[in-house]
Amino acid sequence: MRNVFERRASSWVALVVGAAALLSFPLWSPNPYILSAGIVVLSYAVLSTSWNFVGGFTGYMSLGHASWFGLGAYGTGLLITRAGVPSFLALGLAGVIVAVLAVPIGIAALRVRGASFVIVSIALVLVLLLVFQSWRDFTGGSDGLVVPRPFPDLLPPRAPHGVLLPVRRAAGPRAAGWWTIDRSRFGLGLKAIREDEDKAQSLGVPTFAYKLVAFVVSATFTALGGGLYALWFGDLDPIFQFSILIGSYMVLMALLGGVRHLFGPVLGALVVGVAIEYFKVSYGDTQFHLVATGLLLAAVVLFMPDGVIPAVAGLLGRLRPQQSSIREVTAAELLEQNRTAADRPDSTDSTDSTNGADRAEVRR
Amino acid sequence: MTGSLLFQSLVLGILLGGLYALLAAGLTLYFGVMRVVMIAHAAFLVLAAYLAWDVHDRFGIDPLLSLVVTVPLFFLAGVGFQRLLIARLRPATVTMMSVLLTFAVALLIEGMLGFVYSGTQRRVQLSYSAASIEVFGAQVAVVKLIAFGLAALSLLALYLLLTRSRFGQALRATIQHPQAARLIGIDTDKVAGYGFGLGLATAAVGGAALSLDSTIYPSLHWHWIGPLMAIIVVGGLGSIPGAAIAAMVLGIGQSLLQLPLGTTWAQTVFYLALFATLLVRPQGFFGGRLAQRF
Repeated sequence: MRNVFERRASSWVALVVGAAALLSFPLWSPNPYILSAGIVVLSYAVLSTSWNFVGGFTGYMSLGHASWFGLGAYGTGLLITRAGVPSFLALGLAGVIVAVLAVPIGIAALRVRGASFVIVSIALVLVLLLVFQSWRDFTGGSDGLVVPRPFPDLLPPRAPHGVLLPVRRAAGPRAAGWWTIDRSRFGLGLKAIREDEDKAQSLGVPTFAYKLVAFVVSATFTALGGGLYALWFGDLDPIFQFSILIGSYMVLMALLGGVRHLFGPVLGALVVGVAIEYFKVSYGDTQFHLVATGLLLAAVVLFMPDGVIPAVAGLLGRLRPQQSSIREVTAAELLEQNRTAADRPDSTDSTDSTNGADRAEVRR
Repeated sequence: MTGSLLFQSLVLGILLGGLYALLAAGLTLYFGVMRVVMIAHAAFLVLAAYLAWDVHDRFGIDPLLSLVVTVPLFFLAGVGFQRLLIARLRPATVTMMSVLLTFAVALLIEGMLGFVYSGTQRRVQLSYSAASIEVFGAQVAVVKLIAFGLAALSLLALYLLLTRSRFGQALRATIQHPQAARLIGIDTDKVAGYGFGLGLATAAVGGAALSLDSTIYPSLHWHWIGPLMAIIVVGGLGSIPGAAIAAMVLGIGQSLLQLPLGTTWAQTVFYLALFATLLVRPQGFFGGRLAQRF
């Protein structure tokens, strides 16, 4: 039992330290460039976590979440420039509009599973890109759309404290939403869909409704992330907002970190986001970042499809001393353990670690 | 809008539809044998087009002759891709993970093309590039006719291979029911590898045809993969005739819609057809017993 508490305590400590580091980031970041790169990485984390609401819970991997990102960004931008709505109200309104749009699209897209769903998600980005590029009078087309920034004097170098406010505001509801769903009956239903949709349905889980709700929640959160992007960067272009690449970054980050964990996408965003920024700085405007993204994604899919967190946890599990709860051990293993313990009363670390390794093998 | 203009668009639509049909048949093959949606298909198409352009640019050879090298090369690459990468994925999640894997390959190819050939738009200039012939009052460019002929011939060859040869029978058996195919002694792994090779070979043929009459650039493949994927969903995943018919219908539709709407908006016909299909008949209009579950 003690180990459970220890582990839980250590994860809380990690959480508090991480949050503190995140919140105080503007204070200790060494220069404005790092600060603005940090904001980019944080917004990737926000987007990727939003993606994970549908990708992680239900296993429906959308490669087209850039459509929600772009719709949120353009919705916010257009409401401000064309309708004169105040900035943050426009952000909220854009979120509502996208939520409403996501319902019929979700109904159409969720009628199919797996590969067809991915096709639909990609098609959505491509069609939105076409529409926003061609509808020049309304969206500005490829000339772009300039959105007035609501924080005129909050340029990174001068006002370090207020800078992260929007991102912080965005991160809070996502973490809370994830935490709640993860522990609810609803979340259980979603995970059942991920593991085996037919069985879940036959057990009485209202799979379609559950999927749709998760889809709309994820789309709305992503759109709000896009709206914040529009407010912060203030310059929109269809080719960057409705870019397959942004959608694939979200998937890559979530997969790399581990889709089954709240902090998986955050961890993935830290790794991938820093890598992306690094590639941009070192190799400039070449196509190299495409190659790097492709290689990284292929490596993750081939070698650790469950993500870094489970992979590392598996490694740590081998080194960790005896497991705490007998419920995680089968009767046969327990017998084996007792026998070993009886043979060697001065139970050493080496035997423990082999036990741990066996158990890890069995559980996999 | 005059009748001859309409007829011209119809002819162009048929010519375009032929190329779509060949490429969609390739996509259907991958899906049939491995339940894999090959997002990199169009990237390989553009790669083949670049190779054809490169051959012409460097040695002054007709881009069509590049087929002699690219078709076997792509076939081998396809077999290798299936055996070394796709086969490594866990069977339970192969559909999802292979989408991501082929997506990664598409990014890789696009990036490498940009790296090697730069982002500049390229076009093959041939002595017969500007030539056109008149068919019942419609002006049709010779290069488009050649591209269509190439696509139609390859499609015919593919059809004969699938229906008339022992290998074709084995391949279709693998598509229908892999387990049963294994039980009657078909080496499904090997057949799936060859199926992949054939799919990539269609991309090689399509690439040479593409290089004849269009301007190519590294990110061109996104303009192809969207319509192609819409086609295979509308036709019903896993059905080659379905893919061919859907390709023809949508290709002609796109070409006709270009008259009133312009090129960009006409492209949306594929996506509208895709969403309409999902709402009306999610398994696609032809065959497609497999579609809904994947």
